[in-house]
Amino acid sequence: MATKRVATGAPDGSFPFKKRRKNAGDDEDYMQIDDDDEWTPGGPSGSRATTIKVSALARKVAQSKRTKDGVEDGDESALTSRRRQEDDLVSHIFMDHDFAWLHLKQDHAARPLWISPEDGHIILEAFSPIAEQAQDFLVAISEPVSRPAFIHEYKLTSYSLYAAVSVGLQTEDIIEVLNRLSKVPVPEKIVEFIHERTLSYGKVKLVLKHNKYYVESSHPETLQYLLKDTMIREARVHSQQVDNSIKAATFTTSKAPVKGNLVIPGTSEAGKKKDDGMPGKNPASNPAGSKDAELFTSVVGVDGDEVDEDDDNVHAFEIDDTKVDEVKKRCSDLQYPMLEEYDFRNDTVNANLDIDLKPSTVIRPYQETSLSKMFGNGRARSGIIVLPCGAGKTLVGITAACTIKKSCLVLCTSSVSVMQWRQQFIQWSNVTDKQIAVFTADQKEKFAGDSGIVVSTYSMVANTHNRSHESKKMMEFLTSREWGFILLDEVHVVPAAMFRRVVTTIKAHSKLGLTATLVREDDKIADLNYMIGPKLYEANWMDLAAKGHIANVQCAEVWCPMAPEFYREYLREQSRKRNLLYCMNPRKFQACQFLIKYHEDRGDKIIVFSDNVFALEAYARKLGKLYIHGGTSQVERMRILQNFQHNPAVNTIFLSKVGDTSIDLPEATCLIQISSHFGSRRQEAQRLGRILRAKRRNDEGFNAFFYSLVSKDTQEMYYSTKRQQFLIDQGYAFKVITHLDGLEDLPELVYKSRDEQIELLMSVQQANETDADLGTDIRAGEGDLPGTITSKDFGANKFPAVDRTTGSLSALSGGQHMSYIEQNKSANKKLARESAPTRHKLFSKRDKDVATARKEARAAGRG
Amino acid sequence: MKAIKGVLFTCDAAVKQILLSMNEKNSFIIEDLDDYHVVIKADEEWRIRTELENELEKNTYNLEA
Repeated sequence: MATKRVATGAPDGSFPFKKRRKNAGDDEDYMQIDDDDEWTPGGPSGSRATTIKVSALARKVAQSKRTKDGVEDGDESALTSRRRQEDDLVSHIFMDHDFAWLHLKQDHAARPLWISPEDGHIILEAFSPIAEQAQDFLVAISEPVSRPAFIHEYKLTSYSLYAAVSVGLQTEDIIEVLNRLSKVPVPEKIVEFIHERTLSYGKVKLVLKHNKYYVESSHPETLQYLLKDTMIREARVHSQQVDNSIKAATFTTSKAPVKGNLVIPGTSEAGKKKDDGMPGKNPASNPAGSKDAELFTSVVGVDGDEVDEDDDNVHAFEIDDTKVDEVKKRCSDLQYPMLEEYDFRNDTVNANLDIDLKPSTVIRPYQETSLSKMFGNGRARSGIIVLPCGAGKTLVGITAACTIKKSCLVLCTSSVSVMQWRQQFIQWSNVTDKQIAVFTADQKEKFAGDSGIVVSTYSMVANTHNRSHESKKMMEFLTSREWGFILLDEVHVVPAAMFRRVVTTIKAHSKLGLTATLVREDDKIADLNYMIGPKLYEANWMDLAAKGHIANVQCAEVWCPMAPEFYREYLREQSRKRNLLYCMNPRKFQACQFLIKYHEDRGDKIIVFSDNVFALEAYARKLGKLYIHGGTSQVERMRILQNFQHNPAVNTIFLSKVGDTSIDLPEATCLIQISSHFGSRRQEAQRLGRILRAKRRNDEGFNAFFYSLVSKDTQEMYYSTKRQQFLIDQGYAFKVITHLDGLEDLPELVYKSRDEQIELLMSVQQANETDADLGTDIRAGEGDLPGTITSKDFGANKFPAVDRTTGSLSALSGGQHMSYIEQNKSANKKLARESAPTRHKLFSKRDKDVATARKEARAAGRG
Repeated sequence: MKAIKGVLFTCDAAVKQILLSMNEKNSFIIEDLDDYHVVIKADEEWRIRTELENELEKNTYNLEA
């Protein structure tokens, strides 16, 4: 498996370079990094670079250079000749990715960036002393592609620049900062690209003030340009003097919005800061995007007043409410897409919602940063915030709602998460029961008063047909009013069409999308940019883990060789049952048993995931563990979960796909995957999220464990690698374990003998083809978003197929020496029996007495 | 007396199963020794190697793909 693209080693120096082989141009970067140790022998980049090995060739060049070093250190001409020599050695490998012609700056060793002139990729040396600041800047202007420990890759895209502009960065500043950080002068092509994208983007804002729509811009010429368009001119409302020749003077001019006195609750500032007057009184000292300006000055020393000088004044004209949609569309056509901002503090029409975070609620620094991007200029910007699972997305949403303090609509994917959101709102903020309402298939509530919070699901709101009377009424309630804020949970899973319906039917001033994994298996990410807004913030998983906000996770892929008999069948089988064969691989059973044993002995709480229900049951029964799947009754689920949480004897549970979305999972410290949904990167990330929130994460040296059991030489290998891509790009390293030490010596190892394995194979072959399907056990309820619960067959009621056999009655009843024996009893049943309340003798006697007394009374009545 | 030139092929258990299934279509195995060894016809060796490579490659995920 030499072609497998995952780094197999520990996350040491070799790991970050996994991308390098692919992108030959990058290798050239490495070669030049090597030059650094001539300039700064003890420098951080130089010393690190020498320890990193890319290929034998690179080493050879480096060696030949180092031997010469003693003689001609620092000699310019010698250096150039040497570089030419190196170029000759390696440049042919890179072909058109050979960027040796790029001119390095004199002090390039101190600068952390490489910019590729071809495709806008930016490579950051994450070990550089100023990497952290550079990273903040890069996250603002570009999309993170891959962020392992030492080398990060970012990409400049239209949307990322759009986002940068929307948080208040200026074209010239972007180029200036890039130039200061880059080892090579910013290539002409990139400068051009940035100019092209940022000049028009974000220059025009659509603001709803006092319930009138204004088109706002700090560039009067832009507004003039827009007004030349007949359609927009017609939409304009002339409130002041009418002047035929449109001059800048006719626009309403006001001071630029400032962050001023807006305090995001829960931040450290919240305690100190007092309301100090109206916004807009101190524009000079606190220009828009002051946070970013500060950042830049700290990075590059640009004077604060140089930045945003033309942001002091904004110009606006009012447009007709009814024509807002047309104007928006027209502006997009004219290459001036509008940003939506909500000046919620000056919104006097919509009633305020009196909610606040509880005083005990403290938000974390990265949550604060993400919110400051949203409320950077004292208004609420629409956009998307990306945080890892378990890093407190909900709290970010709640804090945003508490900052805006207007009516709020929360949309999530399933009715289970609706209840979770409601519960979290009550937990973190002082919202009362009356102010928060739930709209699901089962519950249709309205809040009391003028303002409040409604929590619902996407499909409840987007559904267009077959509504019950009650939901129809509820929808009227939702569409008839203006919402200050709409919170979109898990935005990446919602189909674009459904999304558009939600966004158009509900009138909301600002939208905030929350997600952990901004990947879609169908690459429809671009739609989100258009419908919600740009990505405001994306956290770095590794950073959060290093700071202890999420747990450190050791990821491992365990390769289980296929038992020969199973593999023979696998090769013959062409149908869906193939995946059953690789799930039920006896070696996988053994590996699973071994890992459970090992981690239970360490005191870990273990969750085992299997999408395939047949396999789930087989594993759980064989290993004598508790399991939950879609068919498990609610009572049983609660009992099992409670035992898992509190009973020290129950440390392992098996979960089917229900664990992904449909139940509120307890925390665990170890996770084992035996079967998963093909190559879904999102599922992998979501499952990892289950262990990221482990409470013990702050213990010294604590690690959570994430294992994927993979049957070797099967399709599973392909899917497994694909699934990992997202996490690898976040900087996780998957270790490959080909052999579990001590597996053979495990007492009571299952399926040890060939006979047992063959028996297992027989049972697999007898299984129905439907047993091979994934996630068959769960049905989406009304209101759950299709596709988030199951991949297929949602809605329709499915009953387990009935097994019919013929036999004589006497045989079945034991007449022909037939006897029944129950093997591999479900541990669930045992638990149920144990927990069944045995009543005390005293009470059972009393019950009996009561019953006899009643009987007698009845007899007496009759008689 | 008929002599066939053979090559001893050492492989793991899974690869052997692939070989066996390939053998059903187009016979090339002379002797099936045990789980890890087979003797195959020498002139078929390269064809077998490439076919095997293709078969195993199917299970590998490439970023470019």
